[in-house]
Amino acid sequence: MRITHLFVPVIAATLILSACGGGDPPPPPMPGGPTQAEIDARNDSIAAAGDAEQARTEAERDAQRREQDRMNRERDEARETLEAVVQFDYDESDITTAGERLLRAKLPILRSSPTVRLRLEGHADERGSTEYNLALGSRRAESVRDFLSGFGISADRFTTTSFGEERPAVNRSDESAWAQNRRVEFVITGGQIVVSEDD
Amino acid sequence: MNGRNREVEQIRQEGIRVLRAFAWAALVPIALISPLAAQQDSIPGVTLGLLYEAEFQPALAVQPFSGRLGGETAAARVEEIIATDLRYSDRFQIMDSLPASLVGDQIDYQLWDQLGAVWLLSGSLEGAGSGFVLVLELHDVVYEEIHAQGRFPIPATRDENFRLATHIASDAIIEWIYNEPGMAASRIVFSLRTRDGNQDLYLIDSDGRNFRRLTEYDDLTMSPSWSPDGTRIAYSSRKDTGLPRIYELDLETMVEKPLQPGRNGDHQTPAYSPNGRDVAFSIMGGNRSGIFYYDLERGCCLTHVSGGRWDDFSPTFSPDGRWLAFNSNRLGTPFPQIFLMPASGGEADLISPYLHGQEGYYTSPDWAPFGDYVAFHGRVGRRGSYNILVANVADRGRRLRQLTWEGNNEDPSWAPDGRHLVFIGRRDWGTGLMVVDTATGRYRMLRRGLDVRVPDWSPALGWDGP
Repeated sequence: MRITHLFVPVIAATLILSACGGGDPPPPPMPGGPTQAEIDARNDSIAAAGDAEQARTEAERDAQRREQDRMNRERDEARETLEAVVQFDYDESDITTAGERLLRAKLPILRSSPTVRLRLEGHADERGSTEYNLALGSRRAESVRDFLSGFGISADRFTTTSFGEERPAVNRSDESAWAQNRRVEFVITGGQIVVSEDD
Repeated sequence: MNGRNREVEQIRQEGIRVLRAFAWAALVPIALISPLAAQQDSIPGVTLGLLYEAEFQPALAVQPFSGRLGGETAAARVEEIIATDLRYSDRFQIMDSLPASLVGDQIDYQLWDQLGAVWLLSGSLEGAGSGFVLVLELHDVVYEEIHAQGRFPIPATRDENFRLATHIASDAIIEWIYNEPGMAASRIVFSLRTRDGNQDLYLIDSDGRNFRRLTEYDDLTMSPSWSPDGTRIAYSSRKDTGLPRIYELDLETMVEKPLQPGRNGDHQTPAYSPNGRDVAFSIMGGNRSGIFYYDLERGCCLTHVSGGRWDDFSPTFSPDGRWLAFNSNRLGTPFPQIFLMPASGGEADLISPYLHGQEGYYTSPDWAPFGDYVAFHGRVGRRGSYNILVANVADRGRRLRQLTWEGNNEDPSWAPDGRHLVFIGRRDWGTGLMVVDTATGRYRMLRRGLDVRVPDWSPALGWDGP
């Protein structure tokens, strides 16, 4: 990828040069000075140098933009991984196998982004009592915090809160809706996501 | 049984109107079986039954109320409110709306006796326009005399306190006959889920009338709790900080103030102490979870009374303020239980029945305004719907009274009469606030078609008078 980038300004300059070949009708020759052809040639070379310079900057900007895009993309992916919702079994606050996979994927991002802080929002499905579900949601959020801090991520970087059954992800009363509603959501409350440099 | 029959006869002859025959119903509600049979439990060591008081319900007749100078319409409305209150008290058979042509203007004890009435209530509304005085006379039909009488200020019918003032008169009648508090002059506060998914607080009168909105925060506002004097309501809301915090709303001034305990975590499930000086509530997810007291008078000062690496929540005080019942997941199972603890903290005892490996699920305790009864909802088994249960604290959960037997039933709260409970009932035919009479097991839908949460029944309410 890097090598291809280097060729870009050269190609661009060539294209600009050839585009400048055909021009206005030649003006009358000037006596005692450089010929019109000489002036044109000089102007052309100045223009060409300018164009080449411009092309180089643009290309660099392009490259930067692409690099930026790549970083953004990676950051978006990292954000998505960080925000991926973890689901729980009925009435349980233990991390499931699927939940563990999702949480492990968050670890490298949390390590490379030490300023990032998260709010862990616990939720329950509508079965069970209103107030107990607040406790259940809280336990789920705390399970997640304990899991992550067990891998060396400082527990201070997380706050927990529970919505109980009051903010369902899916507003239906069936097994699939309940499964999606038993969850912990991850809200980034501060800091920058830093994507680790991959070589 | 002979002794009891003799007693019944004696009671009848002496004119005492209440007979309470106690019988245990077994798990099968249709059959009344002997107490021995009732011990066939689904959980060894726990008697699950319906303590059914086969209560003699005297007939109480209501003489058409009279009013003068344009007060006739008001008199009819007062009569209707009182008759409904007495019917909802589940203590009488009510005879009302009798044609004046039949009963006449004067009290005819002979006639009422023939009609089977034991009590007769007559009322007249004095004054007109801006306010009335309701004069009530309670007649003992058997002795042919006035048993009690009273005068009650009633504001004009358009006044917001018209119904409350009338309910106060209804409760006086209960007091005259039973020497026990009534529940007519009271309200129920609850949170209601609106279409946008938010929850705000609403109020309803004890008779299901006057349904109205109390808060308009358009956020999650929950777990309302009445102050012991009925002038304030504490609740949790996310409205300001995005995290649940406890607020106190003064119902007279409608001024609301946040409690400032200065501690992180979710602040949930507030409850006033009986002297109204503290609010107990739960902090979850902070550095230290548990139940805390907040000193309202000093406006500060958290006292930590229970908790640890688990969640204790939904506290409720005994009427003398010495004990606290609460909900907890401290056993580490997914089956929450009800615990009991000295209000100053200390060791907690289970009062929901617990059998390792066969745990039931019990939540939302509410301590009765008098007596050592704690109501909660739960299910005895691992699965199934929830029912309203009452534990006698002295029994430590060995015996449970089950008050509902169908549908789904959650979040009970005691009425100020210590006899009725409001709860959220779901039936095939509707969902809403239901009221059950713990003495007879009778229940009714108070308000149907509402997506309600965690109701709290007020203490007896008063009004400032004319």
